[in-house]
This record gives sequence, C-alpha cells and structure tokens, in this order.
Amino acid sequence: MATTARQSKRSPAELQALLREARAQRGTSLGRDAWRRLRRNRGAFYALVFLGLFLAVSWLAPLLPLASPMALDLAVEPQPPAWPLTVNPRRSLAGERPPFGAAPTLSVGALADDGWAHRTYVDVELETPLGQLEPTENPMVRALVTQTAERKATVYLRAGDRPGTFVQRHALPQWDSDRARIDWQPSGERGAVEGTLVRGVDGLYLKLALQRAPGGPTVLAAKARTAVEGVEVELVVEGETGRETRRYPMPWRAAAGARVVGLQLDGVRLPAEAERDAAGQWPAMPDELGEARLALEIAGRSIQLSADLESVKLVDTAGERVALETRARVVPELRAVVHDDLGSRIDRRLTDIGRVVGLEHTDGIWELSALDAGLLHLRTRIFGLWQTGPLLGTDAKGRDLLARIVWGSRISIQVSLVATLCSLAIGVTWGAFAGLMGGRIDNLMMRIVDVLYSVPFIFVVIFLITLLNEYRVELADRGIGYMTVFYVVIGAIYWLTMARVVRGQVLSLKNQEFVEAARMIGASTPRILLAHLVPNVLSVVIVYLTLTVPAVMLFEAFLSFLGLGVEPPRVSWGLLAVDATDSISAVVIYWWAVVFPSLAMGSVLLALNVLGDGLRDALDPNLRGKD
Amino acid sequence: MIRFLARRLLWFAITLLGVVTISFFLMRAVRGGPFDGERRLHPAIEANLAARYHLDWPLWRQYLQYLGPFDWSDQGIGALLHVEADTDALQRLPADRVEGRTFRVGSSVVTWTGELGPTPLGGVLTGDLGPSFKYRDFTVNDIIGQSLPISVALGSVALLFALTLGLVAGIGSALWRGTNIDLSLRLAATAGIALPNFVIAGFLIILFAFLMPLLPVAGWGSPRHMVLPGFALGAPFAAYIARLARTGLLEVLSKDHIRTARAKGLSEWLILVRHALKGGLLPVVSYLGPATAGILTGSLVIERLFGIPGTGSHFVNSALNRDYTLSMGVTILYTVLVYSLNTLVDLVYTLLDPRIELEES
Amino acid sequence: MAAVLEVEDLVVRFETHQGTVRAVNGLSMSLQPGETLGVVGESGSGKSVASLALLGLVPNPPGVVEAKRLKVAGQDLLGLDRRGLQQLRGKEIAMIFQDPMTSLNPLLTVERQLTEVLERHEGLTRREARKRAAAALSDVGIPAPETRLDSYPHQLSGGMRQRVMIAMALLCNPKVLVADEPTTALDVTIQAQVLELLKDLQRRHGTALLLITHDLGVVAGMADRLHVMYAGRVVEAGPAADVLTSPLHPYTQGLLRSVPRIRGPLGARLDAIDGSPPDLAALPAGCSFAARCGLRTDACTKSPPPLVPVLAGRRSACLEAEALLLRSGVKA
Repeated sequence: MATTARQSKRSPAELQALLREARAQRGTSLGRDAWRRLRRNRGAFYALVFLGLFLAVSWLAPLLPLASPMALDLAVEPQPPAWPLTVNPRRSLAGERPPFGAAPTLSVGALADDGWAHRTYVDVELETPLGQLEPTENPMVRALVTQTAERKATVYLRAGDRPGTFVQRHALPQWDSDRARIDWQPSGERGAVEGTLVRGVDGLYLKLALQRAPGGPTVLAAKARTAVEGVEVELVVEGETGRETRRYPMPWRAAAGARVVGLQLDGVRLPAEAERDAAGQWPAMPDELGEARLALEIAGRSIQLSADLESVKLVDTAGERVALETRARVVPELRAVVHDDLGSRIDRRLTDIGRVVGLEHTDGIWELSALDAGLLHLRTRIFGLWQTGPLLGTDAKGRDLLARIVWGSRISIQVSLVATLCSLAIGVTWGAFAGLMGGRIDNLMMRIVDVLYSVPFIFVVIFLITLLNEYRVELADRGIGYMTVFYVVIGAIYWLTMARVVRGQVLSLKNQEFVEAARMIGASTPRILLAHLVPNVLSVVIVYLTLTVPAVMLFEAFLSFLGLGVEPPRVSWGLLAVDATDSISAVVIYWWAVVFPSLAMGSVLLALNVLGDGLRDALDPNLRGKD
Repeated sequence: MIRFLARRLLWFAITLLGVVTISFFLMRAVRGGPFDGERRLHPAIEANLAARYHLDWPLWRQYLQYLGPFDWSDQGIGALLHVEADTDALQRLPADRVEGRTFRVGSSVVTWTGELGPTPLGGVLTGDLGPSFKYRDFTVNDIIGQSLPISVALGSVALLFALTLGLVAGIGSALWRGTNIDLSLRLAATAGIALPNFVIAGFLIILFAFLMPLLPVAGWGSPRHMVLPGFALGAPFAAYIARLARTGLLEVLSKDHIRTARAKGLSEWLILVRHALKGGLLPVVSYLGPATAGILTGSLVIERLFGIPGTGSHFVNSALNRDYTLSMGVTILYTVLVYSLNTLVDLVYTLLDPRIELEES
Repeated sequence: MAAVLEVEDLVVRFETHQGTVRAVNGLSMSLQPGETLGVVGESGSGKSVASLALLGLVPNPPGVVEAKRLKVAGQDLLGLDRRGLQQLRGKEIAMIFQDPMTSLNPLLTVERQLTEVLERHEGLTRREARKRAAAALSDVGIPAPETRLDSYPHQLSGGMRQRVMIAMALLCNPKVLVADEPTTALDVTIQAQVLELLKDLQRRHGTALLLITHDLGVVAGMADRLHVMYAGRVVEAGPAADVLTSPLHPYTQGLLRSVPRIRGPLGARLDAIDGSPPDLAALPAGCSFAARCGLRTDACTKSPPPLVPVLAGRRSACLEAEALLLRSGVKA
C-alpha cells in the first residue's frame, strides 16, 4: 500500500501532530466557511432572519397583546380583518361571577384576565312568522333568556334544521351552573354531573354521568332516581368510619318522572342501581335504549325496518316456525335533548313560543407552562386590558385569527422540532450502527429499512395513533400525554431516510484514508468515532434535519387535517387549515380564514426549505472554499 | 431481467406477508372490536356476528382463514345475517344460539333466514379480501372495486400534471438559467414544495368557486371534475420534479460529452433531446416511485376536500372503525401499488441507463 | 496550398464577478493540410481554451472570443451564425477530447453517437450511416466493429473509447483535427498505439492536426511545428525538432529541464520551474514569465515582448532570445 509505506517513514508522534493540526484547521474552517457561504446566499440568510423573528414571536406569544386564541368574540359570523385596538370586551362582566362558588376555569384567557370566561350558547328554535322571508330576532325570547339566565345575551340567527323555522342563538358568558352540577360540599368532594334526557316512545329516559374529582373515597354502590323536584343520586362510599351513604339531590324539574336508564360513574357505565359484588366488580351494564333495525323474512318476503319499535311480540304460529310480529311505529326523529339546567329552565319558560334545540359550551382547558403563565402575567402588567382587535379577522367560531395563527405556530413548531429530534435519534443510531458493523448485519438492517419504505407509512401512522388512542387513559396515568405519543409516532416514521443517509456517510468515511491513518497511529475506536466520523456526519445530518423539519410540519398539518393530530382546544396550523376549509361554503367566502393561515404556514415552510437548501450548499464539502 | 423480477417478487412476497401478518395481529391486539358502537348489541346478535366473521375462533385460525386459500370454517358459510333487533323487549329475553341459524329466544326456537353473505374472511392468497365488517352488505373487493378506479383516475391526472408541469418548468428553468424566468420558476417550485396540498386546494376552490367559476370545485364524474383536484394533488410533486429536472439537466449539460456533441456540430435542440434529457431526467424517473406513493397519500386529503368518493376515505375510516378486513384490504392494496410501481420505476431506470445492472439492485 | 486554419490575434477572456480572466492573449497560428502543429504548455496556459475557440465552443457568457482573423477551411468563424457554426463543426473541423471516459455519452450506444454525425452532416440514412460507422471503427483498429457498434461506452476499455472518439472525429473527413491531450488519460502502452493511429490516419486522410498537450515526448514524436504557450500567449514557435533541441525562450528551457530523463544520473533532482503561473485575472504589465525568469531585466516588466523571428522559421517572445541563441550555439 503506497500510502502506508510513505506514511510509515514519519514517526507516530509527528503524524499525530499533523493530524491534530489538520483537524483543528478543519474544525474551525468548516463552520466558518459554511457560515460565510450561508451569508452570501441572500435567500438563505433572509430565511434565517425571518425564521428567527418568527420563532421569537411564536415563543413570546403570551407576552403579546393578542386576543385569546380560544374565544374572543361572541360573534358567530366570521368578521373580516379590521384594525381596532380594543379593550377586552369581557371586562364588564367581572363582578358578575355566578354565585355558585366555582373557581374560574384555568385557561389561556383566564390567566390573563378572568373576564375571558367561556361561552354558553342556548339555541332556541322558533317558527318563522308567515309571510316573512328572513328570520328576525324575537325580542321576547331574548328577554326571557336574559331573565332566566340572569345574564346579558348576544343574539345570532341562523336557519333552522326544519323547514319554516329558524334558530335564535343566545351567547352567554358561561357559568358553572349552566350544567347540572353539584357541589360535593358535605364530603369535601368535588365533581360534575351531566344529564341527558332522551324522549323515547314511551316517555322520557334519563342518563346521568357523574365525574368525581380524583381522590375521593371508593364508591361501593350507586343509585340514581328521579323525584318530583329532579334527580337524586345516592352513593354508598367507603368512609373513614365505614360504609356511609351520601345523598345528592339535584333540582332539575325537566327530568322529573323520567326513567333513569343508566348512570355513568367516573367513566364506568352502570345500571341505575348498582352495587359492587364481593370481588369489587360492578355488574354488567344493561343494554341501552336504541333504535332497532330488523330484517326478517315473513311469509317469504324480506322486510327491513328501521324504526323505534313500540312493541315486539313473538308469535308461535306452528310448532317450529316462529315469526316476529311487530307493531312498529315509525316515530319521527324526536331527539329533543335537554342537556342541562339552563337549557331546560329556558325550555320550560318558553312554553309554546319555541323550544330549546341545543345548548353548547365552549370549553376545554389549555394548561400553560409556568413560563407561559408568567409571561401572561407580565403581559397584563404591560398592556393591561388592551388587546388587538381582529387584525386578521375571526373564524367561524368568532375566535381571533391572528391569535390562533401565533398560538398555533407554537404547537406546530414544537411538534416538528421534537418529532425531528426523535427521528434523528432513531435514524442516526440505526444508520451509524449498520454502517459501522458492515457485512451481514448492515445488509439485514438496511433491508429492513427498504421493506419499511415500501409500506405505505400513512397507514402505519393512522394505525399507531388509533392504537394508542385506545390506551390513552393508561398512558396518561403513566404521564405520557397524547402529544408525546404524537411526536414519537411521527419520529418513528421519519427515521428511515435519516438512517440511510447516515449509514451511507459512515460507510464512505470508514474507509477513507484519514480514518485509516488515525487507526494506524493507534487511535481508539471511540476516539475515531468522536474525532473523525461525528464531525463529518454532522454536516449531512444538519442539512437533512433542516429539510425534515418542514416535512414534519407539513405532516402534522396533514394528520390534524384528517383528525388524527392535535386536538382542540389546542390549535395547530393543521387545525387552522381544517377551519379554513370548513369556512369555505357555497354562499359566502371568508377569504381571510383561508388566506392568512395559508400565508403563515407557506412562508415558514418556504423559509425552512430555502434555509435547508442554503445549508446544504454551504455545508457541501465539494463546494468548500468556492462561492 | 427475469432474475431481477424473480428476486423482486420474492421480496415483495416477504414484504406483503410481513405487512399482512403484523397488521393482522396488531389490529386484533388492540382493545375494542368492529361492533363496539355507541350502543351495545344484543348478546345473541353479537355472538352471531362474531360467528359470522369467525371472531370467536382463536387468532391463529382466523389468521390462516384470512390468508387463505384453505377454508378453515366447519360450517362453510356464516350463520346469521341482518339481525340486529335490539329492542327493549328483545333485550330482556334470554337468547342462545342453538346452532347455525337456529336461535333460542325466550321459550321459542327461532330460525333466522336471510340472504347468505359472502364467504367469511376470504383468503388473501386467492385474491378475496373478505367481507367488510362495517358495510355489511359489501365485500372489501366490492368496495375497492368501486372506489379504486376513481382514485386511480385522480392519481393519474395528478401524476400527469406533476410530470408535464414539472418537466416543462424544470427544463425551461435549466435552459434559461440565471434569467428572471429561471428565478420565478424556481421560486414557484420552492413554494410548491413548501405548501401543503390542502392549502393549494383551498386557494383553488376560492378562486374557481367565487372569482371565476369555470370549473366545478366538488364532485366526480366528468373530466372537468378532475382538473382542480388533480392539479392540487399534483402541484407539490410538479414542483419537486421541476427542481430535480433542473438540477439534473444542468449537471448533464455541464458534462464533457455534451461538449463532444457540440463539437460534432449537432443542433442545440438535438443535443437537448438526445444527449441531455435522457441523463438529466434520470433523477426524475427514480423519484416517480416515491412520488406515486406520495400522491396516494395526498389523495386522502384531496378526496375529502373535493368530495370525491375514492379509496382515500376508506383508508382512514376503516382504521378508526375497526373494520379489520377493509383496513387490511386497503393496506394490502396500497402496498401492492407502491411496491409494483417502485419495481416498474426501477425497470424503466435500468432501461434508460445501460450502466446499471439489474442484478445489482 | 491554402492554409486550412488561420488564426490571428485570438483573444479569449472570461468576464466573471472577480474581474476579467484573460485565458488567451493574442494567439496566432496557421495550419497547412496534412501538417501537425503541436501546442505545449502547462495547465492553465490557455491551450485548451484556444482549441475550444477554434470550434466556437467557448461558452458565452462568460467567455468572449475576439480575433483579427479566425478562419477554418476558408470560412470566417466569427462571421458565422449558430447554424453555420454547427455545420462547420464535425465536418470541417473536429475535436478529440482529453478524457474518453467522460467525453462519450454513457447512455447512448456507440452506433448512435457515430451515426448522428453522418446523419447531420452528410444526410445519410441510419442504415448507410451504420455501415460507414462500422468502417470507421475498423479503420481505427477496433476488432469486430459490428458488435462494438451496439456497445455502450462503459463496456469499452479506455483505449478503445479513445479510438471511438478518433473514429467519430474523422467520420466526415474534416480538414482540421484538434486533439486536446488525446493520450493523457490513457496508459502508456495505449498512448503509443493511439498516437501511432493518429499519425497513420492523418497521413491517409491528409488532415491537418492541431495537437495540444503538456507532454513534450508526445510532441517530439508527432509534431512538425511547435507552439509553446504560457499564460495565454505563444512564447516560442518553430519546427518541433529545433525548438526541443535548442529552445529560445527561458520558459521552454524550463519545461525541457523539468522532464525526467531515463538516461539521466540516478537520484538527480528534476529542475522544476520555481514559482507558479500568474493569475490570469491580473496579468503583469510586462512579460508574463518575468517573475519566474532567471534572465529578467528591467525591460521585461515594461511591456509584453512581441513574438519576433529570431532565426529562419523560429520565433521567440523573449527579449534575451539573442543571448539564448548564442549560448545554445545554434548557427544563425
């Protein structure tokens, strides 16, 4: 070997010195050279500056006087962009806290200003007066709602689901008493109850759901029943002094007389009366009321029915042959769902004027990190109650688009960075190992990568996410949140290319002369790895990383679009894109809902791509020293 | 050539078997089944359904049945069909299956009749993907047969858009290198790569639904319906192809053999067409495999946006619904598509580049 | 007999961001039919660029070609449009490039690359062209030309490829053949074969050969006349044998001294020329070689010395040429 022969004339010490010198030179000049060339590449440089500014804005979002990304305005119709600087509109509601004694919900808004409470929407279906084309507000209903709810309502109108009707929507600041809710004061427990009334064929059915705050005593038996005044839940719990029975009456007149068909206690479905057996197991839940579908053959004719059945009778006609005789009455969809206290209160007072057809709460808890919470407090110190108006308009739920874009960017960036790091960890380990081992192991490992490549990976993602969704509660118990799962899944998909790239680089470097030289003078394997291979692989990895980040960001948007990604109330760019496409209707065009999120996402992705290309050029050793 | 194809086929079989096996067992391992709806089914019906789809068998037997081609069921055909009576009255009656279609309800023995369903669970090896769990009157083959032509048409239009736009832009960009044309084409390409297809689709819908209503923005049927979704789906790939074509062409044009061709006195056109394009577009050819896979994936979104009844919606929904057979069927379909397209691309590549030996790949 | 190639005052410069790079500065030469002119010089002396300029192949931009006269086979190259140039290339003037590995299109068969020349210039059909191509291949000594026609370049050896290049260049019987380092990329034994082949073909076809090389040995064996180039200028010109035996320019002397000799004393050091060639973007005002020259005088740095006749048929661009002549002892 010519190289070896020539090199061996020099002493190892001399060689060592030479190597050290060469490495020192390379180490400094590689970075400096790349930086110089990156700066010369004007597009990449501007992209870098843009991304820097963008990151700053994104991370300082709590400090900026933006509106709440969750709920800003009561307006349901999207508002076009405007330039006002407004006082937080909900401040006037302060001091009108409901007397129910509940603490304000912890949310982005609530941290900044407790006036940013959530909304309750009461939808009342009214008949459109004869001879009138456009629905007009019924002031009487509004007055009635305001009176019943003891709050000021803002009213919006939309067409009703049934012909000849329209829906008058009343938006109210949300109080805890809007839902059927009990205060577990006697026991020191807290929790919530939600009731659903279903009007069935033979009367009212009631389902109750009880969610107790964690940490309460074990429930041994539960019983739910209705009385004249409303509903009563009786729980037998393992108290400190032994079994003790607690009664929780809930005044809910609308539910009086309904048949209690089920009780859901802390997520477990139970019959209306249930007791744990000796093994501590709850009895099986009886089947719920449901609609029935029948396909029978009667007298040789196949009949299919889809109806709520009034009665079913089995008629034994002749020995073996049995037919079902049904008296099925096709009942119109009578799902008058009275959700809760406020809705039913209003419904009762409406009498013949109309009926409450829906009651919605905008809610959800967006927990903030301590740092963000601190920033939010700092923001109130600086800006007080001032905040920007709908600079970029509002979306279909009246939320400020600018705030949503900024807050959404945080999650998008977070997802793409963390997922990219995941892919980096897996890909580099796999690729480097395969490259270093070589031979059969390398062959096998790379073959696995090849096979995985030919699997449509979107399926893998969908599959993994549905799988992990199923075990969400268990994972959450172990402190693994949904977002973590999401990062890992995306990372697990994107490591393939990284593994290939790294393996190729390691393979080509392994046999290069400077590595051989280092080995010849007796450098240890870790030393060769750290000092020679890592810096050389690094540049490739960096370039690939900058190109993976936008790809992952795109993928997050894609998954969120399919409903598999980030979940409300959090907001990400993918969800914004969903909102945008939802806001495209055949009649009106809310262009801002499409244009601004697209512009934000497009410009960041563009900048990342440009930067990635620039970095690739800058770090390409073949181009070193050239312009 | 034949050896290459044989080897590919072998790997394909291994891959497919792996995909089928892993997804089969993983899917069954997940809690929850296809019949866990909002409401609970009558136990008798549940038993029936389980019997029909052989969910009451041990897993390995289900797997073998699914894989085919041998029928492992002792009854040959499924038992009860179309029975979902779960009224209050029925609920309270004890019910047991006696055997086959005979059923004990209360004190009576009921024989349920109804049309016979498809062979349960099918056999992948015989090309039967089995009945759908969710759409109970259809087999997976039916569903795929209905939706696949639509998806394939959409995908082909998108690929056509991607190729034509990408090649024209890329070649133009390379030929007018350094000019404003080049600059704007490159900018457009970068934007195309950066923008997700649903954003492009959103813009297109706004543009064509409101500003210039020339093309339909939803539905399926006529060729006019394909234009917008095809474009939205193909645009990112067009951008990538443009970039690949430009780089590839510029690299080839700077090669020595192009100088030789010039020295031979060939016209610039001939040099471009005969000497440069073939080599310059090789990267584009090898990108076609990933591009097709990407277009398949992208169609999930585009089909939903434009209201196209393609395979895409089944892909997501079947996984969410636990429609085991449909989900597996779509996965197998996509694996086959991606794999065979990749092989095709490799073949074309070797035909174009004589230096590559098929055996090596 | 009329010269087939006439070049007078050829200037090739490249306008780059860093300034103007002058690759060729006033090159003049002429070539008679059947004659071989060697052009030697180290890398970067502008000889390859000059040869490209002869075919109008200097990329523009950034390259700019200017000349008082640039005639190939009686046609003024500078006056021709693109179409005219294309008709000239390959037919009247052909070129063999240095690296046969990269100069043939790897994706096309040998046949395709040969026949397209004939189709273009002689309007032959594919079938006729194939026959001619096969003949041309056997002409350059390729065995089994019919099968070779269907090969791809990567299936041929280096020497074989260069033979294909030569056959390609000679297909239309050009009047001028420019060979740019035709043997540099080949093994020594193959080199000799290829040179022998070139010589033989040239004799048979009567082609004028412009042989560009840095290898003095090649020139010695092949060239009738010799131009020595340095930094884009011809510094010495004359009959090859004379120039090589009694150089009249210090650069030529230096070149000759730096050639290793088989019969030289063992262990003797080669005399490399000290220093390095000047930056073509910033040529000195005077003689380009002055900085490296042992005979430098003040006059050398004033203005570039012209190429003037020193002896019959011999020209040198050195102010001290007379002194060199005296020292070498060649008779006037």
